[in-house]
Amino acid sequence: MLDDERSPKRRRSPDGYIETNGDGTHFELAERPAPLSGETGTPRHDQLDEDQYAHTFYRGERDGSRSHETSTPASQSVPPEEQTFTPPPEKPTALHYRPKLIMRGHKRAVSAVSFSPDGRWIASASADATIKIWDAKTGRLEHTLEGHLAGISTIAWSPDSTTLASGSDDKSIRLWDVDKVGCPVPHPVPLLGHHNYVYSLAFSPKGNMLVSGSYDEAVFIWDIRSARIMRSLPAHSDPVGGVDFVRDGTLIVSCAGDGLMQLLTCLSHSRIWDTATGMCLRTLIHSDNAPVTSVRFSPNGKYVLAWTLDSSVRLWNYVEGRCVKTYQGHKNERFSLGGAFGTYGDVANPHAFIASGSEDGSIFLWDVSSKNVLQRLEGHDGPVMGVHTHPSERKLVSGGLDKTVRVWVSDDAGPAEEEISANGVNGHQDHPVKEET
Amino acid sequence: MNLSLVDPFILAQDCPETLTGKLRSGSSSQIRFNYRGDLLASGRTDGIISIFDTETCGVARKLRGHTAAIATLSWSKDGRYLLSAGSDCKCVLWDLQDGSRLRTVRFEALIYTAELHPSNHFLFAVSLLSAPALLVDASAEIPKKHALPLKLLQPGRREEDGSKKAAKPHTTAAAFINSGDYLLTATSQGRLNIISTASCEAVLSFQLSSAPITTMRLTNSGRAVAVNSADRVVRTLHLPDFSDEKLDVGNLRLEVEHKFQDVVNRLRWNYVSLSPTGEYVTASTGDNHDIYVWERGQGSLVKILEHSKEELYTVEWHPNKPLIAAAGSESGRIYLWSIVAPQRWSALAPDFVEVEENVEYIEREDEFDIQPLETLHKRRLDAEDEDVDVLTVEPPKAGGSEWEGAFKMPVLLDIEDSDSEDEIEAVGAGQYRRKSPGRNKEWMEGGSGDEKKVNGTAKANGTKRRRGD
Repeated sequence: MLDDERSPKRRRSPDGYIETNGDGTHFELAERPAPLSGETGTPRHDQLDEDQYAHTFYRGERDGSRSHETSTPASQSVPPEEQTFTPPPEKPTALHYRPKLIMRGHKRAVSAVSFSPDGRWIASASADATIKIWDAKTGRLEHTLEGHLAGISTIAWSPDSTTLASGSDDKSIRLWDVDKVGCPVPHPVPLLGHHNYVYSLAFSPKGNMLVSGSYDEAVFIWDIRSARIMRSLPAHSDPVGGVDFVRDGTLIVSCAGDGLMQLLTCLSHSRIWDTATGMCLRTLIHSDNAPVTSVRFSPNGKYVLAWTLDSSVRLWNYVEGRCVKTYQGHKNERFSLGGAFGTYGDVANPHAFIASGSEDGSIFLWDVSSKNVLQRLEGHDGPVMGVHTHPSERKLVSGGLDKTVRVWVSDDAGPAEEEISANGVNGHQDHPVKEET
Repeated sequence: MNLSLVDPFILAQDCPETLTGKLRSGSSSQIRFNYRGDLLASGRTDGIISIFDTETCGVARKLRGHTAAIATLSWSKDGRYLLSAGSDCKCVLWDLQDGSRLRTVRFEALIYTAELHPSNHFLFAVSLLSAPALLVDASAEIPKKHALPLKLLQPGRREEDGSKKAAKPHTTAAAFINSGDYLLTATSQGRLNIISTASCEAVLSFQLSSAPITTMRLTNSGRAVAVNSADRVVRTLHLPDFSDEKLDVGNLRLEVEHKFQDVVNRLRWNYVSLSPTGEYVTASTGDNHDIYVWERGQGSLVKILEHSKEELYTVEWHPNKPLIAAAGSESGRIYLWSIVAPQRWSALAPDFVEVEENVEYIEREDEFDIQPLETLHKRRLDAEDEDVDVLTVEPPKAGGSEWEGAFKMPVLLDIEDSDSEDEIEAVGAGQYRRKSPGRNKEWMEGGSGDEKKVNGTAKANGTKRRRGD
């Protein structure tokens, strides 16, 4: 719905709210602005990588350790007395995620996917203005949340997994009570205040605040209880692509850079904010000046991961204001892709990886320290917009412009995972588990 | 996690300076922060307890159960339970998980103070008007009440004849010391007693002041106590570590460390409290609008907090931030004093650094060498060879705001409906305005004019009334 000749700045209506046409029945659903031609884009499905989990991973040459301990369940079952005098298990150089579920049902591109913090549900947001809640184990469609008048760009779970917040192109943020049995209804008071599309949302760790970033260049902190703007951060002079809360809730990171429209080449940066005072504490800027489309704090809150439109994901040490890692290999030039941190290896002493979608239809998993690609997951037919990791299990969920939501499980997950996957497809990649039209 | 980025100069300041906000939900008479500092309970004159979220400055929960003004509030250490005592002669123990009343205990007399045991939330000490203080064990449905002595019972010494005095002596304040093994009580005769919680027997008693003691507050660590007495002197005492096994409580000698008073005006102190570290003592003043802040190390007056425009009663320190909250006695508004950190402009401009004085710039050897971009890129990528740990969570520092696994009060989304009796609403951190029919829209006119709103509303809901001279 967005074209280059119409600047969104000019479209900002004076009263700040939607240009709805009454009944809303024939309201043209807004595509997430980024995937302009996403539906028509030529899907690049790499036929060579058909046999998924046999060849697709890239072995880290740099490590030199061509370990053949690909069957980690075996190495995990080493008796503890043996482990006492053996060095800690060697760091795997590849991951073995394989497709488990494919959920269809969205009528348009899926823009964001997220596991609930308790791991029970998967929420997927789509340009068809609905959110679908899926059972994370079986892939069964539990609920379809309807209420937004335009495409949804972002979703965020509250820390207690009872509330889901969604930000939409209709400029509103809605809260949904997901906990209730039966059909979840939208909270009666939508959070209104943004002048333009809401791009990004994040809950505070206590669940009492929500931070939102919007195309109108503003970052708002909302008091969830009263559905009011608590603080407005004079953040950026470009549309805000991503926001996130640090794990103790004292910092907010926001990023901008007109990453989604590519209309301007402009200042592109991430800013770190003090939640309590609303002060900007640090601005991160890379010399390449590529627009930043998405940001995320690391699980321990010491680093910031930023996606930029020069096909890079960068890890920043925000205290020193220094880029410590650059992850490359994927393609990211047009869309606001998402990703997440995940863990692999020994359960007690895990290593971290970074998962991100790519515009060539694959999902990249990088090792955080070595920057090696641990695995490249093929399956999506078109750009992968969102990837999220399960909070406790070795599981991934992804959603893309091909309207599907896919769940991937790791072969290293152990025997407990096997019985669950009996419900699933067990390797048959294109078997639809839930078909809804 | 923000500490590494905040200006160390700001962090070094530990005493609030400026009035930064006001909170309002009904007319507040009593306030108390929880141990973690994320919630502020406010007891109102209409008997309702409003729990403020100190992060959002909004009401997080309302507790209804008292029919008269709230006299005292006391939190359990985990922040899940709240004990309230009202002028309706009853104590209510609240469970904040669902806002239910866990226990309601009635008394025969007006309640001065009620303090929860730090670890056992079913045990609390109550001091009553003209009646012996009680230690109440509410673990059973029917609570057990044990009377607490007024003084040390010493065999061989004749009981003093209490009938000589017109007013019957009674305990005016009671508080648990640190671990809860001992109780500190203050009496209307100016005595301080240390009472063993297990036996309900006094183990130490001494005369502190000739006048009745009105308020007494301990720090959370239990190592310092501030006592306000009717002779218009605030006394501070240093307490030994009562968890020490070797401590002989019976032979302790407690000395008054400092006496604070206003010699010129002979100000009456309404309420005293201590900063979380015990470094500062604050007192609200009678017939005056100020809060006096003394430093305990030197015993000197360091600050007078002003601009409240009304007499203040309860003064409370935030447990881990330089923030003082005080409840106004007339309007029932809660005033907040804190430190205002200026925006550092260099935080917004990453290419610049704030320097104290001119620095001669020495360019690097290769700084202006022209090199192909690819080489630069490659060199930069190759330089990123450090090991990065994104998972390990540093344990929170002691006294930090981060308590893992602690009780989290559920977030209620429909709190606004119950807040409709207030004509003034919070629009931001300590920012208020009158409710108007076209709300949700009006902020848009201002744009980013947050500053304007502060000034504008200060007048709108201004307390122009002055206390009659």
